[in-house]
Amino acid sequence: MLRLVGRRLLATIPTLFGVLVVAFLLLNVVPGDPVAEMVGERADSATISRLRAELHLDDPVPVQFGHYLWGVVRGDLGRSYITQRPVLGDLAERFPKTLQLAGAAMLLAVACGITLGVLASIRPGGWIDRFSMLIAYVGVSFPVYWVGLLLILLFAVALRWLPPSGYGGIAFLVLPALTLGMRSIAFLARMTRGAMLDILPSDFVRTARAKGLGERRVIGWHALRNALLPIITVLGLDVGNYLTGSILTETIFSWPGVGRYVLLAIQKRDLPAIQGSILFLSVIFVLVNLLADVLYAKADPRVAYD
Amino acid sequence: MLRHLLRTVNLFDTAKRVLFLCVLAACGGRTGGGGQAGGRGLVYYERDDPRSLDPALSTDVTTGEMIALLFDGLTQFDGDGRLLPALSDRWTADRTGQRYVFHLRPGVTFQDGRPLVAADVKRSFIRVLNPASHGGRVWPLLPIAGAADFAAGRAPDVRGIEVLGDSAVAFTLTEPLAIFPKFLAMPVASVVPSSVPTDFGQHPVGTGPWRFVAWEHDDYLRFAKNPNYWGGAPLGDSLTVRIIPEALTRAAEFQAGRISVVEVPFGETKKWEQEHPDWLKRKPALRAVYVPLNNRRGPLRDRRVRQAINHAVNVPEILRTVWNGRGALAAGAIPPTLGGSDPARLPYAYDTTEARRLLRAAGYPNGFSLQLWRSGTNVEMGRVAQAIQAQLAAVGIQVEIVSRDASSMREAVRKGDTDMAITDWWADYPDADNFLYPLFHSASFGPGGNYSFYGDRLTDSLILVARRTVDQAAREALYRRIDDRVFQAAPWIYLWFPVDLWAQHPSIDGWDVSVIFNGQHWTKVRVAPGR
Repeated sequence: MLRLVGRRLLATIPTLFGVLVVAFLLLNVVPGDPVAEMVGERADSATISRLRAELHLDDPVPVQFGHYLWGVVRGDLGRSYITQRPVLGDLAERFPKTLQLAGAAMLLAVACGITLGVLASIRPGGWIDRFSMLIAYVGVSFPVYWVGLLLILLFAVALRWLPPSGYGGIAFLVLPALTLGMRSIAFLARMTRGAMLDILPSDFVRTARAKGLGERRVIGWHALRNALLPIITVLGLDVGNYLTGSILTETIFSWPGVGRYVLLAIQKRDLPAIQGSILFLSVIFVLVNLLADVLYAKADPRVAYD
Repeated sequence: MLRHLLRTVNLFDTAKRVLFLCVLAACGGRTGGGGQAGGRGLVYYERDDPRSLDPALSTDVTTGEMIALLFDGLTQFDGDGRLLPALSDRWTADRTGQRYVFHLRPGVTFQDGRPLVAADVKRSFIRVLNPASHGGRVWPLLPIAGAADFAAGRAPDVRGIEVLGDSAVAFTLTEPLAIFPKFLAMPVASVVPSSVPTDFGQHPVGTGPWRFVAWEHDDYLRFAKNPNYWGGAPLGDSLTVRIIPEALTRAAEFQAGRISVVEVPFGETKKWEQEHPDWLKRKPALRAVYVPLNNRRGPLRDRRVRQAINHAVNVPEILRTVWNGRGALAAGAIPPTLGGSDPARLPYAYDTTEARRLLRAAGYPNGFSLQLWRSGTNVEMGRVAQAIQAQLAAVGIQVEIVSRDASSMREAVRKGDTDMAITDWWADYPDADNFLYPLFHSASFGPGGNYSFYGDRLTDSLILVARRTVDQAAREALYRRIDDRVFQAAPWIYLWFPVDLWAQHPSIDGWDVSVIFNGQHWTKVRVAPGR
């Protein structure tokens, strides 16, 4: 297992390098001028050309890339053109908040999604099944943006149970976590139901029942464990997506996370902030995928990587 | 098999427990600014985090509004855009308007207790002009003699700034400039203490009405009143500025009583006007919504074509329907509340017959096609663009709408690569000059603000003459003349001057809409007693 992890970690280096190259090239092709965003609506051309020179924006692209790469190797992601603060510090400040939101959303998704899926699979076609599949349809089909605003209007404006937006205690977490986790709840419920329906007719499930185990133990212990593989796949992808920031949810709920940071950086053509974020988020994504692979092997001993 | 299963179980339990503890720890750790923003304090909001709290980096509205709370310049604007004394309580100009002496208000101290001296003014301006500050918005200081050389690294000092003892500072300008005192009210011309730490942008110290307390990026900024403020301490004790990017979320926050004021969202105008007329406050903004017609491209080079386009667009209709009537029709580029606007001038009449006649006269009886650029993120402007497209089609002009993100569009417009673009102009300083020099002088082509690339020698020289004219009435007469001349040449589709519509929560009083972004100081606002 250690060898697997080590090998996979080594393999991430070319991946990340590739990400950097592509990001750098793309940002050079995309229209929009970072200096124009720095100077605002009205500027004199002398200031613009001075800033371009200071930021080495007139250097050839390979030279600029070399500059940047050298910084990255030393652990320096540069400073934001707009705020002049170090990008790494900005990300470190926001990532825990994204992690918190992602964690809450995931927790909600696992708790609700798997429960709904398992309950639905026990009596296919029964009312619980129909109800949970309805929820799953709704969750997959409704746009995040719309659901978020609706939740705000209901729970914050009409009922006044929860604050509409902002970052703070657990009360602030409920609505954004629900909005963000909704899709996963729906997806996991369908996934779990499907996997369970495949597993339940198996011989070993019949054996478990035959040897006199309670239904609860048969379903929760024997069947569910064997249905976990596809669930881990879905979870792994979702965690990766959530941890890289969810622009819509963070924007609607004024959540000070990574997603909004990246969005603003892109809008302002803040090159160091965009590149730094892409690199940082790629690392997170790669790590989460690695974790999911390790969990595969743990959940199903038949999965062998060596 | 069993061994594997047990290991799996443990792993999952541990993972879940860790996740749960993480969430618990993160949640329980603090009750954030958002949580306590309501209560008894004043709460304002911004769309985005400010760039910095360092006046030298103030290039955008958000940052400028924050700087206006913490710092003062030698002069300032009030909410109606009037120029008032600030750190300087009186100033004199020589007869040519080329040399100014500003006398400092006695007894002013910074929030850290240091007294304000004239040398601070010079050091502050030098600091902004210094290339090491990476400022980007030095233009309000460039009229000072030697400032441009210093900013370009060609001179060791700015010779036009002269410190006269501890209590006065004199400025010699490269040429007479009647509106120079207004330039000094810009955020970038704020006065900062003599020694400034490297993290000044995060821990600012100024002379302004509010003292910096805390800043959680993308979340909130908190200020406390400066009890020693020279203009009298603010009536409120604390001011929180929350960062809320989404307009409908802001409306919900306002309705939940957690922010003190809110700009009424566009789509909700009618609803709020009907349900809460007592909350609403209106004020004509110093802002023009217009479509620059690139005067150097294709058929748009012909003034008759540009006039025809103005006649072909039913502006009153679009203003009423798409813009919810929140504006006043434009018959010129100078907003009606500024000296130099001409209330007698009539907008281009909606007259498709006249438009067709002009197009025929210009040699385009069968019309032509054009591109109209819009920013994809600005929904209202996009709808206006669609209306313009439909109406121009009626006179034979085929319009293709090009939707790009704001930054790409700005770059294309500044390079002159667009036929038309729907955009707006917010005043930097409340003066007709700010709607003429940047928008129509040939020195402002592109990045300077002249997106229509309208170039006219007489207009250029009249604008400069007006800048040098000290007598206010004579200056305003010149502005009327310039505005009229430009209006006849129709370098834009003249649309409207928006009227700002805000709601003030019943829990506070004393607030009013400010026509200029840095005219809002929050000093007269307080939490209403007993409400």
